Amino acid sequence: MLRFILHRIFMLGPVLFGVTLVSFSLLHLVPGDPAEILAGQEATKEDVDRIRVEYGLDKPLAVQYVRFLVNAAQGDLGISIQSRHPVRELLFQRLIFTLQLSLASILVASAIGLLAGIVSSTRQYSVFDNASMLGALFGISMPIFWLGLLLILVFAVKLQWLPSGGTGGLRYLILPAIALGSASAAVIARMTRASMLEVTRQDYIRTARATGYRESVVIFRHALKNAMIPVVTVFGLEFGTMLGGAVLTETVFALPGIGRLLVEGIFMRDYPVVQGAMMAVATTFVLVNLLTDVAYAFFDPRIRYE
Amino acid sequence: MRRMWWGFILALIVGSIALVPGAWAASKPQVGGTLNYAAGADPDSLDPANTDSNPGEAIGRMMNNFLVKFDARLNIHPDLATSWSQSKDGLTWTFKLRKGVKFHDGTPFNAEVVKYNFDRFLGPEKPLKSSLHTPIIQSVEVVDEYTVKFTLKVPFAFFLNNLAHSATALVSPAAHKKWGKDLTLHPVGTGPFKFVEWVRGDRIVLERNDEYYEGKPRLDKVIIRTVREDSARVLGLEAGDYDLIVRIPPEEVPRLQREGRVRVYSEQSNRALRIGINASKKPLDDVRVRQALNYAVDKESIVKNIYQGLAMVIPTMVGPLNTGYAAVKGYPFDPTKAKKLLAEAGYPQGFKTTLWTPKGRYLKDFELAQAVQQQLAAVGVEAKLETFEWGAYLSLLRRPKDESKHDLYLIGWSPSTGEARWGIYPITACDQWRPKGSNDSFYCNKDVDQMIDKAVAATSLKERDAFLKKAQELLVQDPSSIYLLATKETVGMSLKLNGVINSPLELVYVDKDTWKEK
Repeated sequence: MLRFILHRIFMLGPVLFGVTLVSFSLLHLVPGDPAEILAGQEATKEDVDRIRVEYGLDKPLAVQYVRFLVNAAQGDLGISIQSRHPVRELLFQRLIFTLQLSLASILVASAIGLLAGIVSSTRQYSVFDNASMLGALFGISMPIFWLGLLLILVFAVKLQWLPSGGTGGLRYLILPAIALGSASAAVIARMTRASMLEVTRQDYIRTARATGYRESVVIFRHALKNAMIPVVTVFGLEFGTMLGGAVLTETVFALPGIGRLLVEGIFMRDYPVVQGAMMAVATTFVLVNLLTDVAYAFFDPRIRYE
Repeated sequence: MRRMWWGFILALIVGSIALVPGAWAASKPQVGGTLNYAAGADPDSLDPANTDSNPGEAIGRMMNNFLVKFDARLNIHPDLATSWSQSKDGLTWTFKLRKGVKFHDGTPFNAEVVKYNFDRFLGPEKPLKSSLHTPIIQSVEVVDEYTVKFTLKVPFAFFLNNLAHSATALVSPAAHKKWGKDLTLHPVGTGPFKFVEWVRGDRIVLERNDEYYEGKPRLDKVIIRTVREDSARVLGLEAGDYDLIVRIPPEEVPRLQREGRVRVYSEQSNRALRIGINASKKPLDDVRVRQALNYAVDKESIVKNIYQGLAMVIPTMVGPLNTGYAAVKGYPFDPTKAKKLLAEAGYPQGFKTTLWTPKGRYLKDFELAQAVQQQLAAVGVEAKLETFEWGAYLSLLRRPKDESKHDLYLIGWSPSTGEARWGIYPITACDQWRPKGSNDSFYCNKDVDQMIDKAVAATSLKERDAFLKKAQELLVQDPSSIYLLATKETVGMSLKLNGVINSPLELVYVDKDTWKEK
């Protein structure tokens, strides 16, 4: 198992290399020049050229890329062209925040999703089942943007219970977590329900019931653990997506997350920021996938990694 | 019974006396409190010489002072300079400086500081905005501790406007020596509020400067947050999370005014929107075609229906609050005349062209472009609408004449010096064609250039304004663009907030007098 984990972490290197190469190329293919954007509309050609030289943007692309790689290998990710903030510092701040938001969201999503899924599966075709599956449909269909603004309108403006955005503690994460978690909750609910329905039809569950266990023990100790394997895949994907940056949620709630950093960086053609953010996002995906795979082994002892 | 009556009257009198201080207190400025300000974008830089964005400039005005400053109507007043005089030939300006002013890091303000700041503009560092000063200023000399002399390369009637420009805020030499280019992350000024921290993408925190020269500011702290999404900003104001927000979409204004739970007010800005015309492309090179395009657009209707009245039709591309703005006669809406002119030019059936627009860069830009497209179609000009993301748009417009692909394009311009010459020269002068300057229309009218030169060299304000007026009249006769409007900037405030400055330069900020009821 340890070798497996180490191997996956070792593969991070080539993945990051590929990611930075692709993002560097793509960003340079798109029209738009960070020096022009920084200099602004009123700037003369002289101003723009001067900025270009200052940030090393006049060098050939290959030189720029290699220089970036060499520096990155030593831990120096450069400074933002837009604001001169060191990229490493920016990434650190934003990742911490996105991690908090994603954890809160996946907790909300899991709590709602798992419970709804389990209860629905045990009461198939009941009113609860239909209602929760309808709710799941809404959850997936509602645009996060719209849901976010609606939550702000109800809970921040009308009821004045929670803040409308920004940072400052746990209270500030509640509405964003609900908005971001709702779509994931829906997916987790449906997946859990489907998986549970399949598992509870198995012979060993019938045996467990026949042995005389209470229903709750049958469900939670016997059925759920086995039903979790496909659900864990969904967890991994959803969590990974959240960590990758929930740009729309971050925009509506004015949150300093990695998603906004990446998207705004692209608009400004802020190459160092985009490269850094892409690396951060890629790394989180790789790690989340690894965690998911390790989790499989926990849920299904038959799975061995050699 | 009588005692009851007396008791009642006594209670009434005592009650009224008790109420009076309460009523008084509500209108008397209070000290203390934190202002929560929601801006629409991150600042690009907090180093005045390197900032080009509205948030950067607005925050700069809270942290810094200038030799002379603009008020809310763009009139010029003494700030760190108390008086000044100009030599007869206009080449020398002498300023007497204010005594007893200190920077936030303790550095005293004096003539050496002024020289240092301007040497920075003129020297090898070349901050972003140095081209504001390098063509004009030859050198700066210290005459004595509180007197400084500027020697100009050419007489320049708008010199004071340049000194009041956001970029010309005076920074601490000690801080600049220490941080250099990273001054943006550690700004030090003389203003009413001093820098505490900048968490990029989240907030900028300023706190009161107790030693501010004009007097101790009332507010304790100012926290500027970036909230990009318009609706979220408005909801945040209504929820009470923000005391001050910028850029309220026009369609929200009637509802907010009606509900009365927050205060909204709109100020005319100098942001002039126009449809640039690429005069190097046929048939746009024909002046009759350009005139026809101007007649074809119903500007009043656009202001009424798209901007809910929160904009002003302007005759050229000069915003109404600029020094030197002249209310010359512009183009009325006359589609018949438009068709006639097109026919004269050889296009009785109209012609095909493209209309480019950004989306979300300017207030209601896309909707404006759509309206213009429709109105042009009514006179036979079929304009294909194309939209670009801002970075790409800027890049495409900067192409030199022979590589340019644009025909008609929506663009805005707001001279940050607050004067008409800067509203005209960079975008119309014959020697300012892209990529050298900002003239993306490749327009050239020698008479306009001449009027501008005369205005710059003018030695009296009256003369200067007369030349500028002539330039604007010429621009109407030979249009460089479809002239449209200047937008109004709508700002929202909590009812508890008083004394916010909403400048026509689209800068919204607070000063020492701003106060917040508890």
